[in-house]
Amino acid sequence: MNRRIALRHLALISGGLAFIPSCDFSSDDILTAYENLKITQSQKQLLGDISNVIIPAGEIKGALDIEVPDFILVMVDDCLDTDQQQLFTNGLAAFPDFAKSAGSNFQKLSTKEKDALILAGQKLEGDDTSAGEQNKAISFFLNTTKRFTVQGYMASEYIQSEVIPYSLIPGAYNGSVLISDIQKPRING
Amino acid sequence: MANLNIQSKEQRTYEAIVIGSGISGSWAAKELCDLGVKTLMLERGRNVEHIKDYPTTNMLPYEFEHRGQIPQKIKDENPVVSKCYAFREDAMHFFVKDAEHPYVQDKPFDWIRGYQVGGKSLLWARQVQRWSDFDFEGPARDGFAVDWPIRYKDIASWYSHVEKFAGVSGNRDGIDTLPDGEFLPGYDLNIVEKHFQEQLKKTYGNDRHLISARCAHIHEARPEFAAQGRAFCQNRNLCQRGCPFGGYFSSNSSTIPWALKTGNLTLRPDAVVHSIIYDEQAGKATGVRIIDAHTKEMEEFYAPVIFLNAAALNSNLILMNSTSNRFPNGLGNDNGLLGKYVAFHNYRAQVSGQYEGHLEYTTSGGRPTSGYFPRFRNVYKQETDFLRGYAAGFSASRGVRPNTEGIGMDLKNNLLNPDQYGPWYVGSHMMGETIPKESNYVALDPNLKDPYGMPQLIINVDYDDNDEKMIKDYQEQMSEMFEKAGFTNIRVNDDHRVPGLDIHEMGGVRMGKDPKTSLLNANHQLHAVPNVYVTDGASMTSTSTQNPSLTYMAFAARAAHHAVAESKK
Repeated sequence: MNRRIALRHLALISGGLAFIPSCDFSSDDILTAYENLKITQSQKQLLGDISNVIIPAGEIKGALDIEVPDFILVMVDDCLDTDQQQLFTNGLAAFPDFAKSAGSNFQKLSTKEKDALILAGQKLEGDDTSAGEQNKAISFFLNTTKRFTVQGYMASEYIQSEVIPYSLIPGAYNGSVLISDIQKPRING
Repeated sequence: MANLNIQSKEQRTYEAIVIGSGISGSWAAKELCDLGVKTLMLERGRNVEHIKDYPTTNMLPYEFEHRGQIPQKIKDENPVVSKCYAFREDAMHFFVKDAEHPYVQDKPFDWIRGYQVGGKSLLWARQVQRWSDFDFEGPARDGFAVDWPIRYKDIASWYSHVEKFAGVSGNRDGIDTLPDGEFLPGYDLNIVEKHFQEQLKKTYGNDRHLISARCAHIHEARPEFAAQGRAFCQNRNLCQRGCPFGGYFSSNSSTIPWALKTGNLTLRPDAVVHSIIYDEQAGKATGVRIIDAHTKEMEEFYAPVIFLNAAALNSNLILMNSTSNRFPNGLGNDNGLLGKYVAFHNYRAQVSGQYEGHLEYTTSGGRPTSGYFPRFRNVYKQETDFLRGYAAGFSASRGVRPNTEGIGMDLKNNLLNPDQYGPWYVGSHMMGETIPKESNYVALDPNLKDPYGMPQLIINVDYDDNDEKMIKDYQEQMSEMFEKAGFTNIRVNDDHRVPGLDIHEMGGVRMGKDPKTSLLNANHQLHAVPNVYVTDGASMTSTSTQNPSLTYMAFAARAAHHAVAESKK
């Protein structure tokens, strides 16, 4: 959390000093926020697009709206081991070509095509060939991204304060509650 | 100069010194202070003041950068403490990191420690079952260790004394192996736990029980808790962060502030105890030598009575490091048994399953405890090919699980509207009594030192054949009980954890009747140095199957009263 705030400050400072290069998203500068990862700005954008396909915006905000991609990268950077980090970044790097093999640049695909591509990518199976290694990395990358997207989304301030408020005090225990007595709110995403 | 020294020595002299501020040390200090004794409490860690020093206590899940998970780098640097279930992002600041206090694992041992004011009382699981004479008479009946010099009748009133102050919730279950105490209203078992309870009665008559585990939580407002500044437990289940309500017993919320209020307690954090000072001419201990954690300077404090409550293995370490001409092998160690007969609780096995009944029900809210299964093996007579037995934890739970299949709008709607109830999940873990043996010991490494220049502790503790047989029996018996209760998909597990992770290490300075075979007498005094009392886990002659903290509290309170009575003679 502190680091993210610090980064925002850093962005503000560096934006003031050298506005043009820091905002040039076409350049592929490696992001310094993630010590153990070599992730470029455009890769982070791609990750954002993917998370937005996993949990899209609607009446209720989606993953990209609440900075879930940053959470994903923090978790990959801090909580995965070196091998897993390598697999993740390999998969992320290989993903654009994987998308092209399905016909087009990922960003240009329709929602349905994006869904289908990610679902197919999650199921890729690897072997010892170089193509197999790549498949393994893509499926690891996509499954990890989905896992952290779901976690980061559900355990976000937005969801836990505005959508499904979390309480530190859960109330007294009732060990036999009839499910039919529980009111189920419908939340439409 | 000479005058200054005398003055300084006077300033550093108290009527009692307590080493350690955890559960047992804080109880000794509280009782001594209540009895008017000017007491110095030494704690090797930093100060942790109730509420003020619980930085995570009111944090929301999303305020943890890694949502509770420990970053990989910290795991890599701390292979030992990372194995502890409670070492998570919200409480990791209350655990000792591996490099802070290195030790030698002759055999694998996960030594989990909490060095701060309050010690592990901030982190404990708060289970407080009394011992019975089936436990105290165990070694004599079954021919292991030595006979306890005390029986239940010696400690019963002290259990009551500490329960009333700490706050213990539970039901009067009327079970021989688990005496009833001074209880606040107990917590309910849920509908499936009650089902299991009834099935046990049906199948095994009055031999096997499931009860709501007695826990050190305030479940009824009473003036004695208000007087401590403590309130009703709010069922948050965030205890390991420190509780702003004082809903569970910790030294920090209860005994230490109470003792400070008497005006008789001086609390000295950041004081790593080096040794207990022994005066050969006087034939008694006269004080404690410490290393200041920041300046690394040695300092001495003096008192006519010393309580050693540094936690089981550290109390061993301090005694072994307290050498003199009279005691070249450690204070009070005339028989060479100091550090030996260390034991622990065997938590290796678990049994889990599902229940397809009561599917129209679920639970709501929170509770700070769960089910407890008292020992039924070898209670009235020896009936198996292993000695002693095991207690077990048991709980049933059911929750809604969101469907996380797929991606896109369907996934999002499923996540936000979790309405699929799974079956009831039931789970149990064993808590087995281990037999103290001479070959399970701790000792000082002759060469290796810790960052304070203190010798490192060698730990040499392992399971034995008795433990292996007990694991098998627990797995078989619990599976059978699960089957008879109609549970399905039953799985048995042995997680092969190494000793230590139970955080119930005990012994090394055991009590006994005979100075030739034990270190402490029936009043917790070193046989050879009666003005030194050891009332923590180190003093345990055997381990029973119950969580030990309540017994340490009762021992410490009892010994404190003994020490004061002695001083008035």
